[in-house]
Amino acid sequence: MTTPISVSACARAATTEEAAYRIDYPLAYARSTRVVAFDETAEKSVRSVSDGPWGQAQFYTTSDSGEELVTLKGEGRPMVMEIEHSDSVIMVATNSIVSTAVATVGAACRERSIMTAGLLLLDAGPLGGDALSAIRPYARILLVPADEDDLFQLLKAIRA
Amino acid sequence: MLRPDINDMLTQTGPGTPMGLLFRRYWQPVLHTDELPEDGCPPVRVKILSERLIAVRTPEGEYGLMDEFCAHRGVSMFFARVESGGIRCPYHGWKYNADGQAIEVPSELNNSEFCKNVKLRSYPLVKVGDLLWAYLGDPEKQPPLPTWEFATVPSGQTFTSKRLQESNWLQALEGGIDSSHVTWLHGGGPTGTGLEADPLFAGAKGNQYNKGDLKPSFEVVENEGGLLIGARRNAEEGHYYWRVTPWVLPNFTMVPPRGDHPVHGHFWVPIDDENCWAWSFDYHPTRDLTEAEVSAMKAGAGVHSKNIPGTYRPEANKDNDYLINREKQKTGELFSGVEGIAIQDSSLQESMGPTVDRTKERLVATDAGIIKARQKLRRVVEALRDHGTEPMGNVPEHQQIRSVAIVLPADQPFVEGIGDGFEAREGVRQTTV
Repeated sequence: MTTPISVSACARAATTEEAAYRIDYPLAYARSTRVVAFDETAEKSVRSVSDGPWGQAQFYTTSDSGEELVTLKGEGRPMVMEIEHSDSVIMVATNSIVSTAVATVGAACRERSIMTAGLLLLDAGPLGGDALSAIRPYARILLVPADEDDLFQLLKAIRA
Repeated sequence: MLRPDINDMLTQTGPGTPMGLLFRRYWQPVLHTDELPEDGCPPVRVKILSERLIAVRTPEGEYGLMDEFCAHRGVSMFFARVESGGIRCPYHGWKYNADGQAIEVPSELNNSEFCKNVKLRSYPLVKVGDLLWAYLGDPEKQPPLPTWEFATVPSGQTFTSKRLQESNWLQALEGGIDSSHVTWLHGGGPTGTGLEADPLFAGAKGNQYNKGDLKPSFEVVENEGGLLIGARRNAEEGHYYWRVTPWVLPNFTMVPPRGDHPVHGHFWVPIDDENCWAWSFDYHPTRDLTEAEVSAMKAGAGVHSKNIPGTYRPEANKDNDYLINREKQKTGELFSGVEGIAIQDSSLQESMGPTVDRTKERLVATDAGIIKARQKLRRVVEALRDHGTEPMGNVPEHQQIRSVAIVLPADQPFVEGIGDGFEAREGVRQTTV
């Protein structure tokens, strides 16, 4: 058997008083996140959420091929360049998703070991829809169905 | 990450708090029937949702749950005498029935009306299965009695244990829905024997899938009573192995089954804001538990714990660093060095402090189950507080649920593929691999 030998031992720290001594310092933004809307309905939600108090998160729509990400100001940029230095990509879609674009972006993320999350918005329709089949292979985590607040909460939680 | 005010809202369950109001819309397990074993037995102290209460079983067999303290001078009724029709405070002889109504005040004159105006706050306490359940809310909003399958199968098919967890209830619940920790803490990582070493998990084909894919993907799906959290791993070509954990609001979770082993699950019941009861159950829908299974459960295997005799505090607790074995940790025999699934969880969840400061978290996308659960809790709490909207999870149709383990074609939604496998159906075996 082991026994704690000082007041700073983990077991002793599990009190309210000791927990208060946890070092207090500001945490940096942890994520360089890209949020990609894959259809018009998803774009509305992404555009709405993009107004939030984000640090390094960037928001896009995509070309049909997925080779290009388009900023919400309408500027097209090569997808691989935009995700190159990100560590998470959030894919947002409804049932009118373009599978090719999802596959292109998803595969690029996989090649670069970039964490992916997928949100199928409320308008996604039946769970067996094409959107689920298209996005599942590329999303490490998938929320079904999701809404705009899910996107907001996810971004907030990961300090995007 | 949560703002401090939201963290407070989700973790504080005392009277008058928003989350306390939510909990007071549900029947909660408070005692094992063994704790009030016979008519006229001694009363038992109960603390739940930051309320100190006393549970009684009168000589006539009536259960009661009331304010722990005598209305007269504040004596703990733990010391009360159990008498026909109720309990009597030994200090000045005030007697109460099982509903907390004073029925005798010896100092008053005969035929005095005084008693009628003295009542200890009391709550309904009912036996369902091997547990006693309490409802601490508005009597007019009292939901139907609990119908969870583990509590309603014949007693030979079910076993429930109770463990003190020295942390806020939400830390414990979040462990229950956080499927991504299982591969490491309980599975032993790439080298450990993990689940295969536990008699209540060993031998299931699903264990091989677990070991074969250490980076599961997750899908979080809305469900009527809460959420379904699916963990997906590669199986045979073109197929996925799914383990689906249901969460039913506010504090019920189930562990996906393994082979024909009994199915496990938990209730995480707030005692106060810094402690909770981890109720852990194992049941089989279609057969009695074997002697070997029950022995293993009593010995602390599976989701259960070995407690200090006469208490519900685990032998491995924060005062002895959970008996961590650094040698086994080093060799990988025990990934965390701590023995037993329940204590592996409690050691880490208690180490976060009584109520973890969620402003300091660095969550990742695979924590989306936790993120979604917090969001859902918050919405339900605010809807109840602000609009009186009744929450989900307190009606029978939301409680007739099972966890599932299954192999499905890669393109099939797990909800569709599992179908009625989520439903608790009498005489039908669990869906398991």
